[in-house]
Amino acid sequence: MGSSAKKKKEKAKDFQKPKYKVGKAKPKASNFTDTSFKSKSIVMGHQSLSTVAPDVTQQFKHNLSLASSAKSDKQRQEALSYLTTQLSSEPAVNPLGAPLLLSKLLPLVSDSSTPVRAQLLKLFRALPEDEVRHSTEQAILYIRAGMTHLSADIGNDSLGFMEWLLDIADEDLVRCPGGWVKTLNTFCAMLGWSITSKKDGWTSSGAAQKVARGKVAQNQARCLEALTKFLRAGFQPETEMVSNPRAADDNLYRIPREPSAFAYLNLAGPRRDGDAEMYLDRESRQRVFHKRFHESISRGLEQTKKEGGSTGRSAATLSQLLLGDEGMGDYEPSGAIETEDLLELW
Amino acid sequence: MPKRKVAALEKIDADFANLQYKIRRDPKSYIDDFRRQFDQYESQREIFLVSPAAASSEQVESFQNLIDLIAHVADCYPEETASFPDDLKTILSQHHTVLGSELRDKIVGSLMLLRRKEVIDSANVLTCLFPILVASPSKSFRAVLFGKILSDMRNSNTKAINHPLNRTIQTVLYNMVTADRSSPRAIWAIKLTRELWKRQIWTDAKPVDVMKEACLSDNEKVAVGAVRFFLGGDKEREELEDESSDEEVDLSKIRHQIGINKKTKKQKKAYEKAVDKVHRAERKKNKPHPLNFSAFHLLHDPQQFSEELFSKHLQNTKAKLSLDSKLLVLQLVTRLVGLHQLTIVPLYSWFIKFLTPRQQSVTSFLASLAQGTHNLVPPDVLEPLLQKIANEFVSEASAAEVAAAGLNSIREICARQPLAMTDTLLQDLVQYRKSKDKGVMMAAKGLLSLFREVDPELLKKKDRGKDATIGLRAGTLKNMKFGQEESGGIEGLELLAKWKEEEKKRKRVEKGLPETAGSDEENKDEDDGFNSSDWEVESDDSSVSGDWVNVDHSDDEAPAPKKRKGGEEPSDDEEENEEDRAAELERMAKLATTTILTPADLAKLQELRTEAALERAMGGKVRKGHSNNNPAARHLDDGVTAENIEAPARLRKLTKEEKVALAKEGKPEREEHKSTRAINKSKKDAAGKSTSNREKARKKNFLMTLGKAKSKQKRSLVETRKVLRGHIDRSTHGGKRRNGT
Repeated sequence: MGSSAKKKKEKAKDFQKPKYKVGKAKPKASNFTDTSFKSKSIVMGHQSLSTVAPDVTQQFKHNLSLASSAKSDKQRQEALSYLTTQLSSEPAVNPLGAPLLLSKLLPLVSDSSTPVRAQLLKLFRALPEDEVRHSTEQAILYIRAGMTHLSADIGNDSLGFMEWLLDIADEDLVRCPGGWVKTLNTFCAMLGWSITSKKDGWTSSGAAQKVARGKVAQNQARCLEALTKFLRAGFQPETEMVSNPRAADDNLYRIPREPSAFAYLNLAGPRRDGDAEMYLDRESRQRVFHKRFHESISRGLEQTKKEGGSTGRSAATLSQLLLGDEGMGDYEPSGAIETEDLLELW
Repeated sequence: MPKRKVAALEKIDADFANLQYKIRRDPKSYIDDFRRQFDQYESQREIFLVSPAAASSEQVESFQNLIDLIAHVADCYPEETASFPDDLKTILSQHHTVLGSELRDKIVGSLMLLRRKEVIDSANVLTCLFPILVASPSKSFRAVLFGKILSDMRNSNTKAINHPLNRTIQTVLYNMVTADRSSPRAIWAIKLTRELWKRQIWTDAKPVDVMKEACLSDNEKVAVGAVRFFLGGDKEREELEDESSDEEVDLSKIRHQIGINKKTKKQKKAYEKAVDKVHRAERKKNKPHPLNFSAFHLLHDPQQFSEELFSKHLQNTKAKLSLDSKLLVLQLVTRLVGLHQLTIVPLYSWFIKFLTPRQQSVTSFLASLAQGTHNLVPPDVLEPLLQKIANEFVSEASAAEVAAAGLNSIREICARQPLAMTDTLLQDLVQYRKSKDKGVMMAAKGLLSLFREVDPELLKKKDRGKDATIGLRAGTLKNMKFGQEESGGIEGLELLAKWKEEEKKRKRVEKGLPETAGSDEENKDEDDGFNSSDWEVESDDSSVSGDWVNVDHSDDEAPAPKKRKGGEEPSDDEEENEEDRAAELERMAKLATTTILTPADLAKLQELRTEAALERAMGGKVRKGHSNNNPAARHLDDGVTAENIEAPARLRKLTKEEKVALAKEGKPEREEHKSTRAINKSKKDAAGKSTSNREKARKKNFLMTLGKAKSKQKRSLVETRKVLRGHIDRSTHGGKRRNGT
C-alpha cells in the first residue's frame, strides 16, 4: 500500500555499491567494530619466573595455605593429605612447627565437607604429641565450637577431635583455663541434659524424653564415651612427684618445661569468671563438678540407661565411673572456701 | 577471603532462619536447640576474642549469624541470655576499631533490636554507643551510630516524653561539652542536640544550656556549630514543621476512587490512613505554635553569657577565629543584646576599628551594630560610631553602594536609638536625598522619613513635612527622653471596638429598635454580650476564615507598643483631630478596662488586624521596595541582616536572569512557546481530567469515521428526513439524545 515505495527504497539500498573515491579512505562496513585501544602501560598477570622447582619448605607452605583457604573441598582435602604424608614420613618434615600448623588448621574442625574433616583428623594424629600439648587451650576452643555446631555431622566429627585431644593431652586439657567447666557445659548441651534445674513441676521436655534410634543413638553413645573419657581424665589422681633433690635449684635457675607454666597467675589477659577459671587439681574439679553438673548429669544418665542398647551400655559405664572411687566416690563436700566465692567477694 | 560455597545438605540443617522461626513459635520446646546455639555462640565468641582483628571472614560470618539469631530470640529466654547484651557491649566498646564493618553494624543493630524488645533500656544502650560515636575513627560507622542514637531517642519519646532518659542524655552531653573545652569531640553533642531540637523532642532549657556551654568552647568548630544553632535552630524547626504539614490529602478524591474502582482491603486501608492523616493534621492545627519558646528566650542569664562570649571570642586578641566565625559570634552577641536589651558598653567601642569601607564584609558588621542597639544604650556611646560611619562611608567621593550602605545602617541604628543623632549630622545626611544614585537617594529618604516621625526637631524646618510641623505646633509630637517607655495598649483594639459597635447596631435593627440606645438599655446589652457561646472560638460564625487571612503574620505576635504614624489619619482640622483622638483613646480604654476579652474576641481581633494590614497593602500606601526595609514590619526576633543594609544597592546589581525571574513571578508557567489554550489543556491532562466531546470528535481516527460517511451517501430520502428531524428535536431538548434515537 502506501508504505511500499519507502520499503522498496530501503531494500534497494542494501544492493547499492559503495562508491570509492580517490584520496579518501575506504568507507567502513556497517558491522565494523573498533578494536583499537589506548593504554599507558600493559600489565601481565603473575608469572612464576624461577628456573628451579620450589623446594620442600615452599611446597609445604603453599599446601598449608591451600588447605586453610582453598575454595574447593577437593583441593583442601588434597592439600591436607599432602601435609599428612609430609608429617608422617620417616624424618618428619615440618618446617613451620606444630603450633603454627595448628593455628592455621584448627578452624577446619568445623569445615563443611566430611572428607576434609576426616583427613584433618588423620593429619592431627600424625603430629608429635608433646608439641601439640602447648596448643591445647587453642584447640579446645575450636573443638567445643565444632561440637555445638548446628550441623549434626560436624558435631559428631568433632567428637573424634575431642578423643584425639584426650589421647595426647588429657591432663593439660582439664587444667587449662575454661577446659573443665566449659567443656562439661558443651557436653551437657550436646546431650540435652539441661544444667539449670526446672523450677516448675513439669517433667522436662525435649531431648530427655525422646528415645533415640539408629544413627542418632550411635552418636549419643559416642558422645557418652567421650564424656566418660573426659571425666576419667579429670578425676584421675595426681601422680606423685618424684622427689627431686634439685627441685629448688630448678625452680630458681631453669625455665619450666611444661606448657604455659605461669598461666594460673593470669598476669596478662582479662579477668576470668567462674567458667573460664583454671581448675588445677582433682579436688577443685570434683568440687565444681559436684556443685554444678553432678545432679543434672546423673539425672540424664538415669534416663539414658533406661533406653538400653549401646547408648544404655555407655551410660552404665559412665555412671559406674561416677560412683566408683576414681570418680566422685571419694568426694565429700567440704567447707573449703571456693575460688568462685572469693571472686564474688572481690 | 571469598565466601565458601555452602553445600546443599549443610544448608538444610544450618538454617538459622528456620530455627529462629521455630523458636519464636514455641520457645519451650526448642530450648535445647537454643542452648546448643548459645553454647556455639560462646565458643565462637571466645575464638573471635583471641584475635578480633585477624579473624577469617567465615568465622566472622558465622559469628554474625549467631549474634543475629540470639538477638532475635533473646526475649524468649531472658535467663539464658542474661549476659548477652553485656557481651555485645564489651565487644563493641573494646574492639570497635578493629571490627569489620559488617560485624560492627550487626552488633549495633542487635543492640538496637534488644532495646526494641525491651530486653535492655535506652539509657543502657546510649551510654554504651555514645562514647564509641565520639571515639570511632570510621566515618561511616559514626554515621551509622549517629542515626541509631537519634532514632532511638525519637522512638523513646514518641508515646510520651521520656524525661529520665532525656535528662540522662542531656547530662552526658553537658558533661562532654564542659569536660574538655578544647577537644573537637563536643561537635557530636551539638549535632545531636540540634537534631533533637529541630524535631521538637527537646524543647526545654537544658539543651539550650548545653549549646550555651558549647558556644564558649575553645575549639572553633564546636563554638561555631553552637552559635549557628542559636542563629538558625528555631528557623530550622519551623521549616520542618511547615514541611511536614505540606502534604495535603484530598479525601473526596480518594472516596470517589473507592466508589469507582474494585473494593479491596488495600484500598480500604489506604482510605483509613488518609482519614487518620487528615484528623492528625486538624489536631495539629489546633496545637499551639511550635515556637512557644525560642532558644533565645530559654537562655539563662543572657547578660553574663553574652559578656563571656564577647570577651572570649571577640575582644580577646589571642582568639584565633576566622572572620566568618567571628561574624557569626558577633551576630549572636548583638542579637542577644538587642533582644534582651543588655548593656555591654565595651562592645560599641570595639566596633570602631571595623567601620571602614575596606573592611571585609563590612555590611555584616554594620548590621550587627544596628542589631545590637536598643533604646537603653547610652547615646553618647553611639555618637562617635555614627560620626565614623558618616565620615567613612557617606561622602561624595565614595561609591554609591558604600554611601547607601552607610546611610541605611545609620537609619537602622537611629530607628532603635534616635537620641544618638545630632542635628548637624542629620541635616548633612538628609541632603543626600538629592543624589542621582537611586540607592543613596532611597536610603537618605528613609532616614528623613524616620526622623519626621521620631524627632522632627532635628530636621530643618523645610524638611519636616506637613504632619510633623502640625504635630509640633499642636504639641502632640513629643520626643522621648532617654530611658522613657511608652505606655502600651493592645494593637488593633480600636478596630474591635468599632466592630462591636456595628454589631450591636445591626442586632438592634434586626429587633426593630432604633439604632442608638438609651443609657439604661446600654448596660443590659453589654451584659448580654457575655453569653457563654461567645467564649468558644468555633462558635463565633464570623471568625471562620477564608484563604486570604494568612497574608501577613509578621507583626502580630506580640502586643508591642507601636508608634502611630502621623500620616495615617488624614485630617485637615486641628481641633477635630484632637477631639477624635481623645474619643478614641477613651473608647479603647473603656473596652480594655471594662470588659474581659474572650477567646472569641481575641480571634476576631486577630482577623481584623490582618484585614486592616491587607487593606493597607492593597491601598498602595506601602511602597514596593520599601516594605522589606520597613523596620516596623519586621519581627523583633528576626534581627537585622547584611541584606537589609545592602538591599537597595542590590536592586541595581541584578543580573538578567534575576530580572527575568522577578518579572515572571506570579505569571503562569511557560517553558516553551505555546498557546494559552495548549497550556491549559496540558494542565487539564496533568490533573487527570477528561476531554470534551468536541475534542474527542476531533481526535477520532479517520478510518473509523469512513464507514459512517459512506453510509450517509446511500441513505434513502426517508432516512435522511428522520436524521434531520432528529437534529431539530435534539436542539429543542437541549442537545441531548434520548434512548433509542
